[in-house]
Formats: sequence, structure tokens, C-alpha cells
Amino acid sequence: MYFLTGWPRRLLCPLRSEENPFHIQPSSQRFYFAVLSETQLSIWFSRPSVLIVSYVESAKAAAQFGFYQQAEWKPDDSMIAVAAANGYVLLFDVVGGGDDKCLYEPVYPKGSPRVKVNPGYKEEQCAPALSLEMKRPVDLEAPITSLQSMQEDLVVSTADGFLHILQWNGVSNGRKAINLCTVPFSLDLQSSRGGPSLDLDGVHIRDMEYCVTLDGFAVVFDDGRLGFITPMASRFTADQLQGVWAADVTDGTCVAVNNKYRLMAFGCASGSVSVYMIDTTTGSMQLSHRLELTPKHYPDTWNKTGPVKSIQWSPDYSVVMVTWECGGLSLWSVFGAHLICTLGEDFAYRSDGTKKEPIKISSMSWGAEGYHLWVITSSDGARGEGPPPLQQAGILQFQFIKSALTVNPCTSNQEQVLLIGEDRLYLTCGDPTQAHSAPEQHASRDGAPLYPPSPAPSTVSQGLSTLLGHRHWHVVQIHSTYLESNWPIRYAAIDTQGQCMAVAGRRGFAHYSSFTRKWKLFGNITQEQNMTVTGGLAWWNDYIIIACYNFIDQQEELRLYLRSSNLDNAFANVTKLHSDTLLLNVFRNMVILFRADCSICLYNIERRQDSPTSSAVSIELLQEVTMARYIPHPALVVSVTLTSVRTETGITLKAPQQACAAESIMLNLAGQLIMLQRDRSGPQVREKEAPPNQKKLLPFCPPVVLAQCVENVWTTCRSNRKKRHLLEALWLACGEAGMKVWLPLFPRDHRKPHSFLSRRIMLPFHINIYPLAVLFEDALVLGATNETVLYDGLQGPREPLEAHFPFCTVERTSQIYLHHILRQLLVRNLGEQALLLAQSCAGLPYFPHVLELMVHVVLEEEATSREPIPDPLLPTVAKFITEFPLFLQTIVHCARKTEYALWNYLFAAVGNPKDLFEECLMAQDLDTAASYLIILQNMEVPAVSRQHATLLFNTALEQGKWDLCRHMIRFLKAIGSGESETPPLTPTTQEPSSTGGFEFFRHRSISLSQSADSLIPGKFSLQKTLSMPTGPSAKSSDRWSRDSDCAENMYIDMMLWRHARRLLEEVRLKDLGCFSAQLGFELIGWLCKERTRAARVDDFVTALKRLHQDFLWPFPVIPRLLNADQFPLQERPLPAQPRGVMAPSVFSVLGTRLLKSQSADSLLNSDMDTAPPHGAPNSHSWLDGLGAEQKEMDMASTDEPQTEEAFLSPLINKVDECSIGSATDLTETSSMSELEHISMELANKGPHKSQVQLRYLLHIFMEAGCLEWCVVIGLILRDTNIIKQVVSFLDCPEVPAETVQNVRNGLLAVDAWASSDCLGYKPFLSLLRPQLQKLAETVAEQVLPESFQPSSASKLTEASSPRAEESRGPASLGASLPAEASGGGPGGPHTNAGNGKDPV
Amino acid sequence: MIEVVASMSRGPVFLAGELLECLITFTNPMSHLSTSASSEMLAWASAQIHCQFHASESRVALPAQGTKQDVQAGSDTVLIPSRGERGQCMLDTPPKILFCDLRLDPGESKTYSYNEIVPTDGPPSFRGQAVKYVYKLTIGCQRVNSPIKLLRVPFRVLVLHGMPEPPFPQHEEVAPSNPFLEEEEGGRRDARPLERALDMLMISTSRRCAHLFNITNMRGKVAKFCIFKTVYRLGEDIIGTFTFSEGDIPCLQYSVSLQSEEEVQQQYQRRPGQSASITGHGRHLESCLHTASCHFSLPVPLNVTPGFSTDIVSLRWRLHFEFVTAREPVEPPTVLQNQSEVTVWTGADHVDVDTFSWDLPIKVLPTNPALASYVSQFSGTNSINI
Repeated sequence: MYFLTGWPRRLLCPLRSEENPFHIQPSSQRFYFAVLSETQLSIWFSRPSVLIVSYVESAKAAAQFGFYQQAEWKPDDSMIAVAAANGYVLLFDVVGGGDDKCLYEPVYPKGSPRVKVNPGYKEEQCAPALSLEMKRPVDLEAPITSLQSMQEDLVVSTADGFLHILQWNGVSNGRKAINLCTVPFSLDLQSSRGGPSLDLDGVHIRDMEYCVTLDGFAVVFDDGRLGFITPMASRFTADQLQGVWAADVTDGTCVAVNNKYRLMAFGCASGSVSVYMIDTTTGSMQLSHRLELTPKHYPDTWNKTGPVKSIQWSPDYSVVMVTWECGGLSLWSVFGAHLICTLGEDFAYRSDGTKKEPIKISSMSWGAEGYHLWVITSSDGARGEGPPPLQQAGILQFQFIKSALTVNPCTSNQEQVLLIGEDRLYLTCGDPTQAHSAPEQHASRDGAPLYPPSPAPSTVSQGLSTLLGHRHWHVVQIHSTYLESNWPIRYAAIDTQGQCMAVAGRRGFAHYSSFTRKWKLFGNITQEQNMTVTGGLAWWNDYIIIACYNFIDQQEELRLYLRSSNLDNAFANVTKLHSDTLLLNVFRNMVILFRADCSICLYNIERRQDSPTSSAVSIELLQEVTMARYIPHPALVVSVTLTSVRTETGITLKAPQQACAAESIMLNLAGQLIMLQRDRSGPQVREKEAPPNQKKLLPFCPPVVLAQCVENVWTTCRSNRKKRHLLEALWLACGEAGMKVWLPLFPRDHRKPHSFLSRRIMLPFHINIYPLAVLFEDALVLGATNETVLYDGLQGPREPLEAHFPFCTVERTSQIYLHHILRQLLVRNLGEQALLLAQSCAGLPYFPHVLELMVHVVLEEEATSREPIPDPLLPTVAKFITEFPLFLQTIVHCARKTEYALWNYLFAAVGNPKDLFEECLMAQDLDTAASYLIILQNMEVPAVSRQHATLLFNTALEQGKWDLCRHMIRFLKAIGSGESETPPLTPTTQEPSSTGGFEFFRHRSISLSQSADSLIPGKFSLQKTLSMPTGPSAKSSDRWSRDSDCAENMYIDMMLWRHARRLLEEVRLKDLGCFSAQLGFELIGWLCKERTRAARVDDFVTALKRLHQDFLWPFPVIPRLLNADQFPLQERPLPAQPRGVMAPSVFSVLGTRLLKSQSADSLLNSDMDTAPPHGAPNSHSWLDGLGAEQKEMDMASTDEPQTEEAFLSPLINKVDECSIGSATDLTETSSMSELEHISMELANKGPHKSQVQLRYLLHIFMEAGCLEWCVVIGLILRDTNIIKQVVSFLDCPEVPAETVQNVRNGLLAVDAWASSDCLGYKPFLSLLRPQLQKLAETVAEQVLPESFQPSSASKLTEASSPRAEESRGPASLGASLPAEASGGGPGGPHTNAGNGKDPV
Repeated sequence: MIEVVASMSRGPVFLAGELLECLITFTNPMSHLSTSASSEMLAWASAQIHCQFHASESRVALPAQGTKQDVQAGSDTVLIPSRGERGQCMLDTPPKILFCDLRLDPGESKTYSYNEIVPTDGPPSFRGQAVKYVYKLTIGCQRVNSPIKLLRVPFRVLVLHGMPEPPFPQHEEVAPSNPFLEEEEGGRRDARPLERALDMLMISTSRRCAHLFNITNMRGKVAKFCIFKTVYRLGEDIIGTFTFSEGDIPCLQYSVSLQSEEEVQQQYQRRPGQSASITGHGRHLESCLHTASCHFSLPVPLNVTPGFSTDIVSLRWRLHFEFVTAREPVEPPTVLQNQSEVTVWTGADHVDVDTFSWDLPIKVLPTNPALASYVSQFSGTNSINI
């Protein structure tokens, strides 16, 4: 395909003249261009684009002959015929093209280094010198309407309805004129004998063009009718001509004929181009397709283009350029795929939106090989009055790059996108080497989220993501020496790995390897100039195969060159061919050639191991197939490929590898794809016996037509067990009809193949890019499109060219087609096949997207169609998708991408969103369930959606999906905002609070703390809210405390409270902590309320054990070696004073520290002496007591410098030698047991993070006054002063009696449990002896005194027996420290390395 | 026999300051003759990044005592990655130990992930005439009492000046107030510097500031040249337009080539005042006689080194133009209509020309390393059997 690139180049005629050129006519090889103005004929050269000669008519002759109108070259470029206004045909001789006398040869000043620099420099600079001589005019006495060269003659049509046939040598006697009226015209050739002849009197031919392959003239009459005139006998000059005409077309304006595809493109006044073909059976003109601008893409210009002015087919006949009277250019592929149009987007509008005048084109013509389009613009309207200004004429030269497939459709070019520009190659870099082995999905490294997604070259699908995301071309500039002497480049080929490229110009060829980044040219220039590539070139492993013509021996040859050896015929492997080659292709180890005598040859290539030099290769002719019967003209064959495709798929063949032998030949004959399949009907020759090298190849069956309007064919010779559907399919590009795939169908179970004769099915599907390559394994089509960049508004009053035209670039695109195919299969109720195909592609990264597209496309069509659909496809598609795990996501993604109106239709087919929601919940797929909520919210009554939201919210809470919970809170607030009535669901456990009614909840958080205060007479102080640990308020913006209250907030609170209550009852403190942290749940306020209800601890022992489990806290262990007597614990209680004193103040400092810097770590590194604790009066009354006490403590501590020693602070993550209490502290009271004790304490600490969390929870419970929990945490932390502190609070009047009772019983239960199960706790419990006593007395006063068995202490003594090891508690991670090591100094092994981090 | 395979997951090209991740797999291949007893032992393996610097004697005079003495000499570990390589190791990262005493049973394989921030203070990978900077990841492993085996994986480093400093793993701004919150911060940090760098790169190279030049030689004005920006990323196209119709000296042909200029710093030059070595990286040749305006689009190859300068060498980029113009201005001849006889104008056979050249400095910046790794000649993987 063709793509516009860069800006057009503007040529300037060196001569100043009053006349403006209006017509350009290329020579047959397109190296020379004849440019006509009224009295001037100029010849331009193609490269360098310079004016060679200009012939100015004398005044007398101009008066006699009239102004020039049209020109036509003789096929051998030796003469030009010019039609003049007064009916004269002026024949000019083009003199001097032969010898290499050049123009504009640069002459350098002496001594300039320039000339020696590069020898190639000389030729390219100058153009051949030509001259023009008028031979003789021929008078046809009637104005000439069109002239066309045909074989050796010149056919001229004149306004008097005559058709003159002249000889180029102008000999008058050979002249014949045929009156159009004598030519019988009819609708088709059979009935032409008697049929009514078109009355053609007074009608003449306005435009005509000779088509070689149709052997006739396509004509447009001046009344707009279209016709096709062919000679009845073989020679055209015989008088019997006959014609057919196209019915019901009366607005023809111009015609252009496509020789390769036998198409005739007629431009019409309506602006559309109708493309006709000749029906070979009836000989009638048959409309093939139309080239029309669609209103969708060009809403404002599609019908205002005016009549078609000119149509030009590209030299390789693969694209056609159309221009209209209103100007503008548009490019179409041969069968109507729209590529470019300059009437829209950046071409028509400036960046500031103003409309640009489209360029009006008076004449245009393609350059050699289609790289340039020479355009002569007509600047009408500039014709002011007065003498025409003397100016230099301008010619525009548009630059194109084209796909290598247009000229060289070999298989290796089909799996990569290779574009050729005039001087460079574009290939898609970043392509993964086609990993042929089925790529197992190893864990894809997602690495740093770079864009484009990170490539892992090895796997195809991983590499695929780079393809999708990648738009970068790898540009390789063609070697300038080779290019200058062999411009234009005709053939290009890339190898299957995409690493090496070969190009062939007029003579010789060159190849490039991306490993060495170097071009390889012929060492000996004569070898290069003595051969020209005719049939094309292709790669076979690391050999380059070319079909070329050897000028010296005048012999057509097939040559193989090894890439690694240098380029010389000595290393080439040459095979003589006895007929010209037109096409060459490679299939595995076979080369297929299509020859000019319409025969196909198959050669086998093998690398000869026997010969020393590895480059020896043997080529032998395997088979010759003559196709002369089926091919009217060899030029019509567009491409020939060997494939492993058969009508019946692999089933009848024994093994799949056999399916990969060359089974059939695909021949694209002028757009008609015909297949010749091996004739396997005969007796099956046992493959195995036949010695491999002279395998007798089966003959081919007669051809079968597979499809029409085919531009390109893709097939692969690889095989892949898992993806047989895709790999054994045949892909066709069919122009405007999109693409077609000839898909093999396999029976579902291979066991009984016979019951189902596998067949193939041709499925069309739409595609909105132009396909250039097909990735078989990835079910993806690669293409390219034109993009434009505006550089206007830059400089200069007079708009420079760059401002008028946008800069054109070519971008890579790709398209997924799997959903089209699956849908087509479903429509033809081949559901089974669709399932097989889909399952084989389930591994593709974009497979979910494919399912979504399937639903989306069908939904859009069926839901928006006006009339009811008899057999809706959506239900079958829905049923199909349920086979895949992604069903739920697919439906919801698709629903959210289509507008609301279509949802009813969708869910009617797919199922009620409510039960889909439940399905998600059952499948624990909460995120999808959440997106279903949004659908429910729109489709259902708010109550229903709220009910489902609650369901989801609770499961999310349960599963700790905090992001989802936050979304749910926002969602619930949103949908509930309109609601007034109270939520039905929440059981109102809330007994009527004293302040009653709704205002209780009005100011949310404040009221919460107030509610606590309401119990306690203290006044409300602002710091209070500060003191509360702010949850992630910074993160969750939805702190509902601020905005206005409504039933919704209360409804949400209900659920949060219920969840918190459940967590607390199940003693899941860690989850409670996370829950409150993530959702910013006011824990303290809530705990205050629940103090006497949920926050009570019924069973201290299970609570303690559960905490141990949750926080991975080791059960304490008695160090074994301590012999009993050495264990003085109970006689001499620890000098509690220093620690006792420190604890509360430390605690208060910690508390205040926590408030101030909000950093949990500060909770730990309590270097109290530095930070002066400021009194943070907290307002809880009995808490105030706590607070008050703290206050004195703080007061005491603020005025005189604290000399507290370093607190036995738990571990700090940095290994800090002196972190375990400063040595001084130890020496003072040091005794071995003290050391033991401390080291044992350390050993039994839990991980650092758990410590922080427990301390934090402790603070919360303290604030909330849940004393039982404080006791439990104190126990696990084995922090005596916490317990002491709590016990001291217990005798405050406000504390309800049963709390005291409960604490006491709890402690007793723990003590009992400790003595029975976990002796490690005994030492700690013994420390609490005084508190327990005090507690027992207070309870005794209030309640029946319970005897406190003094004997518990005795149990302590033998506690130190070795039994401690098998304490039932879970063997805590860090605790199993060898006791004997504890004797070491503080810096012993059990520094923080021991715990805190799990030993790896 | 143990097979050691090292492969860089993200391709062989990195920006300095980016996190290089390499997966090193040690496999004891199951072969028919391997018995259960033939499990293999490896004493240790460690990996290190080093940059090898090599100067050509003919161009660079390194001072005798060499301020750039081999950094490796002083290193205290036994792994010398640059052993057996020419030149000196000018920069290396601290070696990281992958494992100590690994035992592999037949058929068993173990994969280790080596992560390291590519040093930001080093030079980019560069292979010039005077100086070469080569980056390699060296994995040294040793069996008990046998020589150290080195596995080298070459990779390419692009240095983006002004790359934001990689954030040192300093602690978060403020420790989370709630201990239950800290879990999910996680390791999202490492991606940010690269994305910021690439964004900055995009911004600096996508601004369009057109520069207009009047090309004149001693005889007069030849053309007007416009180039749309002077800062390019690797892989971008350099686009420039010529308007010859505004010149009055006809220009026959112009050529533009992208050249890199490698100049050894003053104090290290072998011969005082030695010229910088110029290498061409792409050339566009076009004849422009009878041309009013044309443009060129020259691709910057992906595998070249962007501009940089170290204390030994500096690399600059420029566009080198060469014009072949006629010696005298030519007034376009006027064609007179309706003359008495036919006039035939033909082009001149010879044109006296002279050539002159012009250099336009441009800046070449790195690009997205993932893009550059597609066309890199390194594969990013390597393997040895020890």
C-alpha cells in the first residue's frame, strides 16, 4: 500500500514564460515527463528532477496548428505526439537520448577535493541531454479529443466521431479512420449480432485508454456513456470492431485502465468512480465496485467535490489516485479500500480552524515505481486583466512510501511490515522473533511500569504488548552509492527474523544486516550492472534467492547468494532458467517461480553437507505445472504462493506435520484467488518408502476459485498444535470488503473423525486499517496509517509550502479480529468451533477485551436497530461467554462502556444484574460486584441497590478490602442522600440515649465524644478531638464527621459499629486496629459507648491466647538453668520504684509524645529526658483522674530536670548497642538475677511491629476506659505498671463494680491458667501480688469475699522446674533462645537481631 | 557441571539511576549420566556492575600515575570483574553476594534476583575512536578450591543530565500515625525516577522552536533553511526544509549528514591541538537544481551515544551540510512567445560550481531505554557452564 510522507517538493521551471503548463504525460518507463503549455513542450527528467529541453512553437506554426492540448509518448520514448487545437497531430522526434552526454555537469575549481570524494557522484548529478525536432504535422481536419498509443500505432479520436489509427512514422497512406457509428455496440458480446446498435451519430469519444490485457479500448463518450471497444479479429486495425457499453451510466467524465487487474475506472460527474470489469463469459461490462467518499468520514465535502477530473493508476497498478474539479487528492487501493483524502482534517483546515483552499490539479502523473506523484496545479482565478505576469511554472512532487507486498509478495514479507521509501526502508522494530515453539506463559516480569510495557523479547505474546503499544519505525537508509546508480529501487525483501533486508534497483541488488548495521554491495561493479532482478527476491534461511536476467549471456537465471560471504558471483549458486520469471516465492525448502509462459516451476533447495564450503546449495527442479489454459495473460498474475492449506483439514492426513508439506498453490489472478490442490484422490503413495530426495510429487487438481477481489493473501508454513485454527487458516485482504479468512473446522473430539467431514468456511470480517501483515499466533493484523502534523503559522507572510500542507508521517497500527470471527461462527451456529477457537486463544493478553468487543458490537447493532430482529444474536453470544471465567467482568465492563439506554436490552439477554451481583459475591470477586452495584443503582429502586450495597459492604469489611470499603461508604452516602426513612435493616441496639432523638448524632464525631462526656460531667474541650488518634484522615477525604449528618451517615455508622462489635467480641484486635485505621473509624468514642457492653472481656485467658496468636507474641518461658534458689523473685520484689516511678510518667510522656508528633515510633524511642512532656489535660472525668494523675506527674516532671535513666525501652530498629538500658543503670542494681530477668524479658518480647500496635491499642483502651482490655494487654506486654495503673483506677467511684469484679476474676483465671499451662507467666504474676491483694480486698468489701489461695505462691517455687519447656503455648518464634546463652552481657546474641525479624 | 544463565528482564539498556534487575539462574541439568549422587556444590556467587574505560594510545595521553587509577585495585573482595579486560575499571558498584554454599541436585535450578541502581556519576556507554566506556554486569562464582568463573553480561547505559537524584531510601516524610497503616506503602518507589526523567525528556524534546537561517556564500544568497527544533531524542527524525526559490545563486546539490564530534580534553591530548574525530551516522543527498523548496528527514539512529562530556573526552553532535552551487547568479531566461521561428532551449552542459559546507550544532538526548533495547546489539542475556 501507499502512504504519503513528508511535504511535497516544489519544482520551478527555470524559464520565465507567460504560459502556465496544464498537462503532464510520463514516458512508458516514467523516466521522462512531457509538460505542455499552450505553445511550449518541455521535457523534465525524473531524477534529478530538472528541465532538459523546452520547444517553443513559432508564432506562424502556433497560428496554423493551434494551441497544444494533449501529448503521448511512443512506447520506446523516441517520439512524442502532440494534439493541437486545430486538429493537427504534431509528431516530435526526441533526439539524443542514447549516448550518455549529460547536462548540468558540475565543473569544480581546480584542486577542489570534491570530485575524488565519491565516484558515484558524477552520474546522478546530471540528466541526459535531449533535443526536440518537429517531424511533420498530420491534419485530421477535426478537433482531437483523445490520443492513445497502442502497440505500434497511435489511435486518435476526433470530434467528428472518427477513430483514426496512425503510424508513428507519420506515413500518410497507412492512415485509416473508423466511423464510430459503424461499430456495433451492445450490452454483451453474444447478442451483439442482431442486437440494437447504440446510435452514435453526433457522439464522439471524450476520453479513452487502451488496455493491453483486455486488448481493447475503454472509452467515455462526450454524452457521458461508457463503452469498451475490442477488435473482433486479433489485429486491432481490422475494420471489424465491436463494442459493449455499460447500461444506465450517463455521466462519465474520464477513464483509467488497470492492466494487471483488468479493471476500467470511469470517473463520473457525481464525483464517484465506478470500476468495471469485463465478464469473460458474456463479454459485458460488469460493475466491480465504486470509489466514493463516505458521508461519515467527510460530512461536509463528500457530495461537493464536483465531477472527477483525473484518475491515475500507480505503476504497479495496486492503488489509484483520483482528483476532482474542486481539487484535492484521494488514494484508494485497487479494490476500493480508502487510504488518503486531502479534503479533510489537517489537509483542509489550519490549526486555527480556518478552512484552506484545496489545491486544484490540472494534471498529474506517477513517477517511476510510484515513489513520486508529479502534479501540475492550476492557479485559476489569478488571471487578473492586463498581460499575464511573467512567472516560472511550478510543479509539485508528492513523495510516497509503499509496502513491499505491492511488488514482491513473498511469504517472509507477509509476517513483518516492510515499507520502502525512495531512499530508505521502514520496518517494525521491537518485533519479537517469532517464537515458534508454543510460548508457555512464564511469569511475565512486570518490572518498573515503564511505558511502553517492558518487552521480554523471548515470548511472542509478551512481545505482543510492545507491538500494540509501539509506534516506532526502525529506519534503514539505503546505501547511497548503490541508490544513485540503480534508482529506483524496485524489489525489497526481509527475512523471517526481521533482521536482514535485501533491495534490488534497476541493476544488481544489495543487502543489509541489522547485526553489523552495514550494507553489502557487489565488490565488482560490472557484476552488478550485468544483471537485473526480474522475478523478485526472497530470503531462504541466510541465503538470498533472486530471479534475474544476465545481460552478458542473455540468460534468465535463478541465483542464490549466501549472506555472510561477500557479494560476488563466484560465491553464487546459479541455475539457468529457460523462460522469463515474473514472480518468485519461497515455501520452507521449496522455491516456486511463475514464468512468462504461464507455467509454475517448483524447485527444492538443500544445503549440501558434503561439500567443504558451507555455501554450497543444491537446487533441483521438482515439478512443472502449466497454467496456460487458465491464465489469459501472464501479467495478470499478482502473486503465487505455496501453502499447506487444503479444503479438507488435517483430519484425513495421518499426522499434522504431513499437513505442512506443500499441499496447494494459491494464485492471485487479477484479484481472483484460484487454488490448485494436490490430487490426493489417487492411490496413496506410501510416503515412507519413497526415498526422500526424489519424492514423486503428486499432480495438481484443476484450479478452484476461492474468492474475488483479493489484493493480498497470507498463510504460514509453521504449525502449532494448540492453535491449529489460526495457523492453518488462509487470510485474504479484499479491499473495501475488508478481510476474509478461510477457517478450517475441526470436529470437537478427535476420536471419531469420520462422522464429521471437516471442511473449511470462508468468513468475511470488517477491518478499519489496511492489513499489511498477519500475526497468526496472536490473532492480530498489523497495518499502517497516515497521520498528519501541522507546522503552519510559523513564518513569512506568503504561506510557504510547509504551512499549506501538513507534514505526513506513517504510524503503525494493529487490529484484533478474533471477535469478528467468533461472531461469524456463532451466526452460522458453529458454536462448537467458536469455542475451540476461543479456547485456543484464551492465553492472549487481550482475550478479555475480545469477549468484551463481541458483546459490545452485537449489542450496539441489535439494541439500536429500529425494526425488531427475528433472531437476536446477543443471547447466543452471552451463552458463549459464560463458558469463560471472565463472564462476569466482561458483561459489567461492556455495560459500563455502553450508554444506559442499551442496558435493559443487554441484561435481558445476559441475566438479571441482581443475580449476576450475587454470583460475584459467591465467587468472592468483590471488585466486579462493586461495578455491578453502579449498574444496580441506575436500574433499580434505591432501596434495592442500598440493600445490595450493604451486602457487599459487609463482605468487604469481613475480607478487609479497605479500598473497596471506602468506595462503598462513598457509594452509600451518594445513593442515600435523597433518602429520609431510616434504614430498615439495622436492629436498633442503641438504647434511647439520654439526649435522645436525632440531634444525638448531629455533629458526628464531636457528639461521639460528647456522648462519652455526657456520662461524665466534665466540660467539652477542643483539644479532646486533637488527642484522639487521627485515622488516615489525610488519606480518606470522606471523614463524615465534618459534613452534615443525615440518615445515611447513621446507617453507615450502624454497619461499622456492628462490624467493630463483632471484631471485638471475637477478640480480633489486630483486625479491629486495621479496620479503624483504614476507615478512620473513631475507635475511642465507640469504645467509650461500648465500655460496658461489647468492650467487656468475658474470658481473659482466651483473650490473652488470641492476642498471642494474632500478634505472633511468644509465650514467656522460664530460663531453665536458673536453679530454684537462685530465683529470688518472690522474696525480694524488684526494686519497683525506679521503674514504677518511671512507668506512669513514661507512659504519660509517651501518651503526650504520641499526641504531639503523631508518630508511633516516638512511642518507642522514649528518650524522656530530652522531650519536656507538656501537660495534655484530657477531659474524661475519671479518666481525668488518670489524666490528673498524669498532670501532677507531668507538673512534677516539667519544673525540675528529669534524671530518669534510659527506660528499658523495647527494641529500636537500628542496632544500637546501648539500647538495652545503659550500662550504668544495670551496674547500680546489677545482680546476676537482674540480668537474667532482663534478658529473659527481652527474649520473650514479640515482633517490634506488634509491640507498637499493642502499645497503640493500650492507649486507645486507656482513653476509652476499657480497663479489662488494658489488663489483658498489660498481661501480654508483661508490663507490671500497666496492671498497677489499672488496678489503681479500679477504686475510682465511677468504675462499675462488676468491672472490678470482672478484672479480678480475669486475673485469677489467668493465674490459674498460667500455673497449669504457661508457667512463664508465673514470675510476672507474682510481681502483681500486691495489686491482686488490693483488688481482692476491694472486691471483698463489695461482694462476698472469696478466699485468695495463698498457696499460689508456693506453686511458683517448683515453677522453675524444667517442665516450663513444654508449655502448651505455641512455641513462640523468638523465645527458644538457649537459656545458657543468657548469661552473656547485654550485647549478647539476643539483641534485636533475634526477634523482630523472622530468622530467614 | 552447572549452567549459569543471567538475563536482564527489561532488556539490555538502562538510564543511569535506574534500577537494573537481572535474574541469575543456576541449574544442574538432568542428564542421562547424572545419578542422585551427582549433586553440585557452589561455594559462593556474587554480582557486580563495573564500567571499563579504555583509551587508545594514539589519541589519549593518560598521565603516568593516572588519577583514574584502577578503582578495582583497592577493592577488598576477591571478585575482580575487570580481570582479563583491557583498560581500567573506572567505576563499580559494591559487589552483592547472591548466595553462599549452594547445593543443586540433578535437574534442580535456583534463581536469584540481583538488583542494583545503575551509578549516576558514571559516563554513558560509548565506543569512540579515542575512548571506550563499556558497562558490564559480572557474576563471579566459584566451586570449592577451583578458580573463580566470571559470567559477563554487557549492557548499555544512557545518561540523562539533570536526571532527578534517585530518592535515597530516606524514611517516609512522617511515620504513619497509626501503626496499622504502614503495610501497604510497599515498594512503589523505584519506578518514579525513571518516569520523571522520561517525562522531562519528552518535554524538553517536544517543544517546537523553529530556527531560520539564510544560506549565503561569498557570491550571494543561496537558500533559506528552516529547522523546527535543535534538541532530539535517539530514534527521532531531524526535519529541515530548504527554500531555494529565495536564493539567487542556483544550488545544484546539497547533502546533510548527522555527525558526532569526539574531542579529547585539552590536558589528555596525545598531540597538542589534535583535531576531534568525526563519525557520520546518516546522510541525505539530494539534487536541488530547478527546485523551489524541498525537505529532508534524517533519522537519529537508536544505537548511538547521546552528547556527553567527561574529564577525558567530550562528544558533541552536529548537522554537516555541503552545498554545490553555481559560481554566478543566473537570471532565469525569458521565453518570448510568438517568435518568428521555433526556439529550443536546452539545459546547460556544464555548470561551474564550487562547494562550501556549514555545520549546525544540535543536541542529542537519550530516549526511553525500552525502545533502545530493541535494536541494541546486546541481547541482555548470557550463560556459561561451570
